[in-house]
Amino acid sequence: MKSYKKTYLATMIAGIMLSWNAQAAKADLDDAILSTPGLMPSATLEMTDEPGLWFKDPVDGDALVVIKPGQAVQIKMGDTRTEHTITSLLWPAGAKDFPIDQEQPSNVSITEALNSPGLYVFTCKVHPYMFGAVVVDDPATEGLDIGSELALVTGIKVPADSDIAKRLLRTFFVVTTPDLWRDYREPEWKVNLPDIPLNIKGQTISLSALSLSMPNKLFNPKTPGVGEVWVNTQFEMIEGKTKPGSATRIDAANWKLVNKVKGVEQDLNHPHNMWSDKRYQYIYQTQWFDKRLMTFERDSGKVTSNVEVGESPSHVLTRPGDDNLYVAINNSEHVVKMKGGSRPAAIKSISTGKNSGPHGHFITDDGKYMVTPNALASSVSVVDLDTEKNTMIPTGGIIPIAVWGMPDGQRAYAANLLGTPPLLSSLTVIDIPGKKKLSDIDLAADYDPISGKISGEAYGLLPIQTPVSPDGKYVVTANTLSMSITIVDTGTNKVVKSLPCEAGCHGVHFGMKKGGGYYAYVASKFANNLIVVDMDKLELAGNILLADSKDSSIKAHNGMGGQGVLPLPLVEHGYLAQTLKLSGKKELSPQVEGWLKQLTKEQKGI
Amino acid sequence: MYKTLAVSIFAGLMAFSMLAGAETGSVHLITLKAVALDSGQLAYQMVKHKIKSPSGKVEDITQRYSQEASIPGPAIVMTEGDKAEVTLEHGIKSSSDPVSIHVHGVHYKIDSDGTMKILNHVNDQAAFPGKPYTYKWTAAVGTAGTWPYHDHTFGNPMLGAEDKGLYGTLIINPKSGKVPALIDGKVQNVAIKDIKRDFILWMHETTFWGMEVNNIANRQVPLWTNPTLGARENELVRFHVIGIGTGFHTFHLHAHRWIQPGTTHIVDTFNIGPIQRESFVVKAGEGVGPGMWHYHCHVLQHMQSGMMGGFKVFESARN
Repeated sequence: MKSYKKTYLATMIAGIMLSWNAQAAKADLDDAILSTPGLMPSATLEMTDEPGLWFKDPVDGDALVVIKPGQAVQIKMGDTRTEHTITSLLWPAGAKDFPIDQEQPSNVSITEALNSPGLYVFTCKVHPYMFGAVVVDDPATEGLDIGSELALVTGIKVPADSDIAKRLLRTFFVVTTPDLWRDYREPEWKVNLPDIPLNIKGQTISLSALSLSMPNKLFNPKTPGVGEVWVNTQFEMIEGKTKPGSATRIDAANWKLVNKVKGVEQDLNHPHNMWSDKRYQYIYQTQWFDKRLMTFERDSGKVTSNVEVGESPSHVLTRPGDDNLYVAINNSEHVVKMKGGSRPAAIKSISTGKNSGPHGHFITDDGKYMVTPNALASSVSVVDLDTEKNTMIPTGGIIPIAVWGMPDGQRAYAANLLGTPPLLSSLTVIDIPGKKKLSDIDLAADYDPISGKISGEAYGLLPIQTPVSPDGKYVVTANTLSMSITIVDTGTNKVVKSLPCEAGCHGVHFGMKKGGGYYAYVASKFANNLIVVDMDKLELAGNILLADSKDSSIKAHNGMGGQGVLPLPLVEHGYLAQTLKLSGKKELSPQVEGWLKQLTKEQKGI
Repeated sequence: MYKTLAVSIFAGLMAFSMLAGAETGSVHLITLKAVALDSGQLAYQMVKHKIKSPSGKVEDITQRYSQEASIPGPAIVMTEGDKAEVTLEHGIKSSSDPVSIHVHGVHYKIDSDGTMKILNHVNDQAAFPGKPYTYKWTAAVGTAGTWPYHDHTFGNPMLGAEDKGLYGTLIINPKSGKVPALIDGKVQNVAIKDIKRDFILWMHETTFWGMEVNNIANRQVPLWTNPTLGARENELVRFHVIGIGTGFHTFHLHAHRWIQPGTTHIVDTFNIGPIQRESFVVKAGEGVGPGMWHYHCHVLQHMQSGMMGGFKVFESARN
């Protein structure tokens, strides 16, 4: 960003040299040279595992390059331990040969000439917060060209000065600039964007107009929770590790940070989602920008296993009953079934359908069905776990990323990160035993993407995790672009409430409130806090810090990258019943027995 | 008894061939520079290439190369029996990391390995800013073929930065002046002097990076990404295909066939892994005529990502 002018000049010189070369070849060599050179890249974006800089410009280390019309950009894999797609998120409407997309993740490299001036944002369909941008800037116009009309991958076109375009632009800078992430150890969150002239629909405005600031306020919920809450602080940089991420433990009795499990020896890489066995003895940990599943002892944090399970393992669950693991392999078309315990071992792969790319899955309380949102196939699969046969249900959703179901196992709600065209933002309702789509819920029905006007509670944009409360009353959805939490009433399938969240609002799960009821815990990628929502009042109950300033081994992004959330004891009655069966038989640790003792009958599901 | 005889005959042959090499080989005095491109990628650039013949005559062939750095880097062409002294200059302005050339195929002493002391246990064999390093190569008998050269130190003293663009091609032509090829349906030897164009294609991730050594105009032309290769019908052209990075590829050229080196096995596709290479000669458009013949990686996912180009065979020039 800072050196965009330098890039400018360099690309201009490169352009001149290229055309000079071509002319020289023509004049001198006439008939001898019959080959036609291909594109010479004038700028590069390398895809990496580095938080924020997932598309990194090797020249100045940011995620934005500037080229001139007709010049080419190269996008390739850099220092990453998994595979990605290169997919257009938005581009100037009418740009030739756009959008760009790969069907499947791979070690791809592409070189593309971009002709139409304007903003081009790229992402990876598997890891859809990896952002990189190319501005094709016509030197004849004032300011960096953003364009007049932008096309979104969802199929809609919006004016470049629309609210949604501006939100995307601001989000791009926040996501790709770790200095702009919200650090709750500071009194205020300041998104100070530099004074760079932008050309939007022919008007010159400063990027700094998109700056914002708001106070940071932390507070503990008045009523304690039961047990503990694990959060994947996926972007934390730790001494001795080349890759980011740790798991942060909060004690729900006093809201204090207990410890962080860092996997230094294992070089734990982007820990994304966790689950536990029925004794709460081990925590299973997927490494989303990697190939491995790490297992550690919950109590001591001691790592007992770190095994390869497939490209980009996203979520892990156990099956109530046999306690086997089901690990969704995001870059593939299957879920790996494994024997649980200290050293999980693969049993077999279960197909979720061709090119599916399963992400955040769900298993019914009775252990009968597994439901997978298929990020790469616009579908949801229902797998009968006894026969291991899958039924793929096309939903029309773009990047279905997470799903959760009702306690009775009848219905599931799948979040479509980029909506169900023409809906900008949606949940798809699935009949699990009937294996069919029922409807779509418009999460942004009250939001006007052009003016930005909000006329009701439904303004959630880019939904991610979407669990159903254990009493079956509500679906709570984290919306990453609108920085909000959406609450849907399962009786009406309508949005009844929205609450503020953070940039990169991402992970949600429910935990036990002491004395009865539930909390929803919400983690965000570009902030270092955990939001606590009281599910009886549908209000914010607390805001807890995930950073540990006293830990000198944390080199950067302290407490940042909140994604998977695992409160223990598990609230789902099917799972909890398995643990309760072991209670009083010397099978559980005294700590776990202590948690179970605090639960009400309703919480126990009896 | 006969064992001793065999050994002495072998030793004699070796001595003869070494002597022959010393008598007839040229010495290539080469200066290369490693630079950063505007795109942030790295590349080698030819600064100087002089050839000293056994008679002492010196020819400067620098003008045959592109004046710009390119990916792949300059193609260095030698003949079995030749030697080279290759000096590398550090021209990467943004960094003082050492940069090197590690070559495949030819003979060299341990101090020309192009690695850091941590690997070779002798010395740091890399160029630093203002401090070039010189490598000595011997294209001994038995080293004919197409070989890669690449960095082995930049950014990471164990690995280097070959995948950032610091790689190029070394072609050692056989002393016999001939290579076997499938021409007019028969396996026969063709004279290297009759090869009009050498097409070099590096397969990196899902992109071809090309260079043409044009033997008509005695010029090298960087062809960058997924280029269109051009030749006239019935010209003898030689392809050199090399892999780099982590990808495994299957190279396929439409409507042409060739022999697997060292065999009479006829193929139109071969596998290429990192730093693996193949070269073959075809008669352009043989049996099929002019046309825009496609070449591509046959790994489906790589094709989908655009790993392809054209081999355009033009009608023969009219006399």
